[in-house]
Amino acid sequence: MADESAFDKKKAHRAKHAGRKAEKKKKKHQIDQSNLTARQRNPKAFAIQSAVRAERQFRRREDVIAKKQHIPQVDKTPLEPPPIVVAVVGPPRVGKTTLINNLIKSFIKTNVTSTNGPITVVTSKKRRITIIECNNDINSMIDIAKCADLVLLLCDASFGFEMEIFEFLNICQVHGMPKIMGVLTHLDMIKNAKTLKQIKKTLKHRFWTEVYPGAKLFYLSGIIHGEYLRNEIKNLCRFISVMKFRALSWRTTHAYVLADRLEDLTSQETIRKDPKVNRDVVLYGYVRGVPLMKEAMVHIAGVGDMKISELSYLPDPCPMPSREKKRHLLERERQIYAPFSGVGGIVYDKDAVYIELKGSHSHKQEDEETNEKKALLKNVSETVETLDEQMQESGFKLFSGGAVIYPDMVKDDEYLQLNKKGQESSDDSGEEDDSDNDSGIDQSEKDVEKASKLPWDNVESDVDEDKGGREAGDESPDDQASESDSDDEDFSVKWKEKLGEKATVAYLERQKTSKNIMKLVYGEFDIGNKTREKKVDSSDDSGDEEIGGLFKKVTDTQKKKQKEKQQLDLDECSFFYALNKPNLRNWTIDENKQYLINCFVTGKRSADEDAEQLLKLDDIDDEELYGDFEDLETGEKHKAEEKFEKEATKRKAEPTKAEILEKKMKLKAKFDAEYDNPDDHRIKGDHSYYEALKAEALKQSELNKSVFDNLDNGLRIEVEGFRPGLYVRMLFKGMPAEFVTNMEPSYPILIGALNMAEQNIGFVSCKVKKHRWYKKILKTNDPLIISLGWRRFQTLPIYSKIEDDLKYRYLKYTPEHVTCNMSFYGPITPQNTGFLALQTVNNNSNEIKNIGFRIAATGSVNEINKSTQIVKKLKLVGTPLKIYKKTAFIKDMFTSTLEVAKFEGARIKTVSGIRGQIKKALNKPEGAFRATFEDKILMSDIIFCRTWFKVDVTRFYAPVVNLLLPIGAKNAWQGMKTKGQLKRERSIKNDANSDSMYTEVQRKPKVFKPLVIPKALQKGLPYKFKPKEKSTTLSGKDSNEKFKNRVAVVKSPYEHKVSSVMKMIKTNYEKKKEVQKEQTAQRLQTHKKQLEEEEWRKIKRQKELKKKICRHLSKMGNKRKPQM
Amino acid sequence: MPAVMENDVLKYKGSNYFRQRLLLSTLSGRAIKIEDIRSTHDDPGLREYEVNLIRLLDKVTNGTRVELSETGTSLYFQPGILIGGQVIHSCCTQRGIGYYLEILLALGPFCKEPLNTVLQGVTHSDLDVSVDKIKAAALPMLLKFILVDDGLELKVIRRGAPPLGGGEVVFKCPVRRHLRPLQWTKWGLVKRIRGVVYALRVSPTMANRVVESAKGVMLNFLPDVYINTDQCRGPNAGKSPGFGISLVAETNEKTFYCAEAKSVDAGSGEITLPEDLGHECAHKLLDEVYRGGAVDSSFQWLLALWMSLGQKDVSECIVGPLSDYTIAFLQHLKEFFGVMFKLEVQRTDDVDSDYEETASAQKVKLTCVGIGYVNISKRTL
Repeated sequence: MADESAFDKKKAHRAKHAGRKAEKKKKKHQIDQSNLTARQRNPKAFAIQSAVRAERQFRRREDVIAKKQHIPQVDKTPLEPPPIVVAVVGPPRVGKTTLINNLIKSFIKTNVTSTNGPITVVTSKKRRITIIECNNDINSMIDIAKCADLVLLLCDASFGFEMEIFEFLNICQVHGMPKIMGVLTHLDMIKNAKTLKQIKKTLKHRFWTEVYPGAKLFYLSGIIHGEYLRNEIKNLCRFISVMKFRALSWRTTHAYVLADRLEDLTSQETIRKDPKVNRDVVLYGYVRGVPLMKEAMVHIAGVGDMKISELSYLPDPCPMPSREKKRHLLERERQIYAPFSGVGGIVYDKDAVYIELKGSHSHKQEDEETNEKKALLKNVSETVETLDEQMQESGFKLFSGGAVIYPDMVKDDEYLQLNKKGQESSDDSGEEDDSDNDSGIDQSEKDVEKASKLPWDNVESDVDEDKGGREAGDESPDDQASESDSDDEDFSVKWKEKLGEKATVAYLERQKTSKNIMKLVYGEFDIGNKTREKKVDSSDDSGDEEIGGLFKKVTDTQKKKQKEKQQLDLDECSFFYALNKPNLRNWTIDENKQYLINCFVTGKRSADEDAEQLLKLDDIDDEELYGDFEDLETGEKHKAEEKFEKEATKRKAEPTKAEILEKKMKLKAKFDAEYDNPDDHRIKGDHSYYEALKAEALKQSELNKSVFDNLDNGLRIEVEGFRPGLYVRMLFKGMPAEFVTNMEPSYPILIGALNMAEQNIGFVSCKVKKHRWYKKILKTNDPLIISLGWRRFQTLPIYSKIEDDLKYRYLKYTPEHVTCNMSFYGPITPQNTGFLALQTVNNNSNEIKNIGFRIAATGSVNEINKSTQIVKKLKLVGTPLKIYKKTAFIKDMFTSTLEVAKFEGARIKTVSGIRGQIKKALNKPEGAFRATFEDKILMSDIIFCRTWFKVDVTRFYAPVVNLLLPIGAKNAWQGMKTKGQLKRERSIKNDANSDSMYTEVQRKPKVFKPLVIPKALQKGLPYKFKPKEKSTTLSGKDSNEKFKNRVAVVKSPYEHKVSSVMKMIKTNYEKKKEVQKEQTAQRLQTHKKQLEEEEWRKIKRQKELKKKICRHLSKMGNKRKPQM
Repeated sequence: MPAVMENDVLKYKGSNYFRQRLLLSTLSGRAIKIEDIRSTHDDPGLREYEVNLIRLLDKVTNGTRVELSETGTSLYFQPGILIGGQVIHSCCTQRGIGYYLEILLALGPFCKEPLNTVLQGVTHSDLDVSVDKIKAAALPMLLKFILVDDGLELKVIRRGAPPLGGGEVVFKCPVRRHLRPLQWTKWGLVKRIRGVVYALRVSPTMANRVVESAKGVMLNFLPDVYINTDQCRGPNAGKSPGFGISLVAETNEKTFYCAEAKSVDAGSGEITLPEDLGHECAHKLLDEVYRGGAVDSSFQWLLALWMSLGQKDVSECIVGPLSDYTIAFLQHLKEFFGVMFKLEVQRTDDVDSDYEETASAQKVKLTCVGIGYVNISKRTL
């Protein structure tokens, strides 16, 4: 990006230094000293007046600075970046295709008849773009949002924003916001200028709230002859070609390819036999994001997880313009590449590829290079119908022939050369060593190399043979066996004797590590596109070779096998000398001591560390400045160099001129960096921590770019992976036939690489929030389609809530406006990755109308695990069987003794709140147990045991395979349906729960039991409260029965007499009482009358008195009045 | 012994590098199958210590599936998610604690919960790095990758010599989301030498004699030599008698070289002279210093592992000559992660011929691009 900004830099404004205006300005800036305030005249005196205010100022400044700071990130943009993906998105019939056609026309000045699939064009000297149109399918929208760098969001202004636009914006927000530019079309449909202005304004503000305030919104005011206005398109093009991009976290950790070409390599014969046979498919595209590793697992969106079985890079079909300095793009550099659309030389068809030759004149104008490229492409295209093996062969042919094309592949490749030389020298020495024909180096190149041999060749060959002495111990017996037959008998004895010695020799050898160490470690590996040659046959041949008819010569492969066998079951040990213990050097001998003495601080330092040397370096630096000059007047040349050279030869460790130069260059570079990036200095003050972080990131990014710069391309790919910007060819084996037969280029083929462990499946726990525009709430275990990472899949989520004790409590439905936790069985994805959920991806227009906004929920991944801990509340209910004081036997809570045993010690509770504990199981009845409570419970109590029940997440994971669906029905993917959906479809109705039915309530009058008072208690009661016989019997009984139990009383004459006298006395007394009562009442009445009278009189008196006073007062008032 | 791929399962043969394969399988999440484990031996199948290792891995992971054949000669291992947390494990006494500890050290930063393990067994063994060595040389290396030390700790509570062991160590390791890329091309000069001599159930004079001889050698090179003696008593001394020494050389760039030597196992009938032991250990250390490089030769593989597990940035380190174990590990790294190192032999061409004589062993520069490994187990809030 850095060089791009330099490229985009505008010409700076030059202020005038002379003339009338400049003088005016000068005058304006001159301060009139006479009428200055004290503050202006002497600002230093007013610097700090209030410490508090100074502190606040400082704080504010620091706040502002801290807000500006971002965590420095390592810039990962490659030197030659892949084309920028520009997606044109919008609802149907807004003018997407027209816009694309216009853009292409504006960029490459040719008309494109049909646009289908990604179209790559060169737009400027440093930029290429891939334009892709998004069709009206939510699957495509999701895939496009995952790969687009820039989105042109088209909107019909006469209609306003449609739901698709909001959906797309939401998808973008979830998967990493690309740059978004709004484009309003159909503006000419609005005739009234005022309404047009109004509409523009409202749409702009709505757009701003969705994207960010100030986001760019383009207006395409109308269509003339089926095209937008040229000026407006040109403007849009300019915006596109200078757009800058921000790194998105998902894409800076994952490689991806947007396939722009497809080939089916399956042989016609097998297809004829079985049209549904799994195909071998080759996909082409630019690597984007981060380097793509060989043999990586990838996910093809809409198909599923795949393994790349072959990955190689091809020459760029739409190369970046050459680096020469020129103002404009040359006409021939304005290239277009769109195989799906049938432009750019190659036309894609279902089972053939055609090359457009652009008439007979085109060849003559093309230079050699492009011709070669064409030929190369032709080569590729010709191999389409061949078998896989033939394909490989042709690939080989391609690259052996392509030596001219990749001369750098063999140039300055250290490792390859070394290998080769090792091999050659061994060939020279006459040994039949045929193993080293490695790394795909051609025989023809050997001859060239033979001439220039380096002195260490012999060493190399040795090293090659014994692999750095590692197997010296193993190998020597083989050598002996092959060389001398006579030694054969006592060989094993010798071997054992010499073992220690050999180990020691090996150990000394080891210290001088072999030079082609890559080969030592990785063996013979594929380099770049070259595939390893099969060596099986050669080993078979050499296996038959015999020496003297008796002994077979031990070939290298056999040796290797033997060695492997020996190492197969060794004890694992991480020490340098794992199991063989060599005799170490005696370091105390002076001779050996020399090797070591400089490894200690007491020893001699190297030149760039030694303080003394550094001082000298400084001196020389000065010397160089002043040492060598020519006296112009006398023409005398003063030379200090000779002396310096002498000195240099004298002390070897001293810095050379080159070193000094290097040091100077470093200083200069530092100055340049500081001078060129004034932006860095906006943040002032002591922010050394931040500065250090930034410097570190910068250093890292420089290292990333520079470290493999001068490495051979093939090896570089091996180490680094296929870096972004390379055009790669990916072979997939066992692709479903439907992918090819139902191929529709308008659906993007997004191939996303999976990082380590992401191909595995586990339980994903994430936080999720129902989208506020989605009408329904989501139900646990209803199938949900989730777009996470590269994938789209259906799964059965369980919603839960994290309690304060970090327990995941099961929720049946998502809460309305808060986030909750969601767990599902799905692909392992790094934490913090965003996802969105849909209930259906079906494009049934009725359904869409019903649903409205389709995005049901959004969220991000929290945690990955291989098991889940979601629990549901469960109340176990039991009833008392028998109650002793505080102990009770409870039944019906559990069904077996084992269950009880599991719950021993658990807390239980009655409805009335008496707490208790489960003690021990009873033998009978099964499942009953003994429990103790804090108080005596009642037989009518219900006992609860509150527990948690673990809910398992259903292991269901089904990728959305919409690319495999037939053409025209690609948007009709239907996964698992919800139970509700199925019931509705088949009109199944549930039986109503009888408990939930409304029925007439019949209540009988409550009959209470009579109160029974214990006899002992009765004794103590006063007679009044004693239960009488009457009350003991139940009411409503026969009155005759009432007296059944009574005893008849017969009185004696005396008793009769007494009772009659008593009766008379009683009557008398009662009469007397009555009279008395009457008299009292009379008395009371009279007394009352008296009192009333007295009261009345009193009131009367008071009234009169009041009257008098009032009268008197009024008189006095009247008297005063006239005076007033 | 390159792996054979079969349905995304890596197939290996033989018992060698068992530990590496399990470790890498756990980290990469790829299932492996190991066949022909000592199939031709008299005592076929997995050894006790290997089974013990599987058990330890099972303890620190969730969802690991292990299928052992009846004879124990073939094993299918499907790794789960790293959990970590509190683990108490009694290691098999056939191998040292180092055998297990190295694995935990490699897995530690990628667990869900910070690792807090208690390992019991043999702390010092001939076949494995001792706990002292790990503490001295490996922990500073991990610190370079995680940068902030929040609870990285290895405590030797009890020492235990073979054959019975009885030692105990506590290892704690913080978790990280990802490791930093590391450039470590300078290792400086040795500035001090420290060491510890332990004597378990033997006369204390043994320790002093070892110190004397080791110091005698080391003082030829550096005056700053200090060797501790650790006289363990009672239960702290483990179950078997034995004594040993470990020496650490620290450079001014925080590189630690460590060498160790121990007496022969009790009951084997041989006798080790303390003087010989000290001499041997000192020479081993000097050998290590001669080999040089940014890390101790026993931990080259750990360095390679952490380098390759870094972010998608370039890491560069220079180490001494590669050990066999490291070479095998690099091969395994390629098979599991697809990461290939650029290996360069550091030439001493620029130094003059007479100077070369006094230079130390040839160094190898390891350069790789990290695979962008992130700790998928860790929980974010």
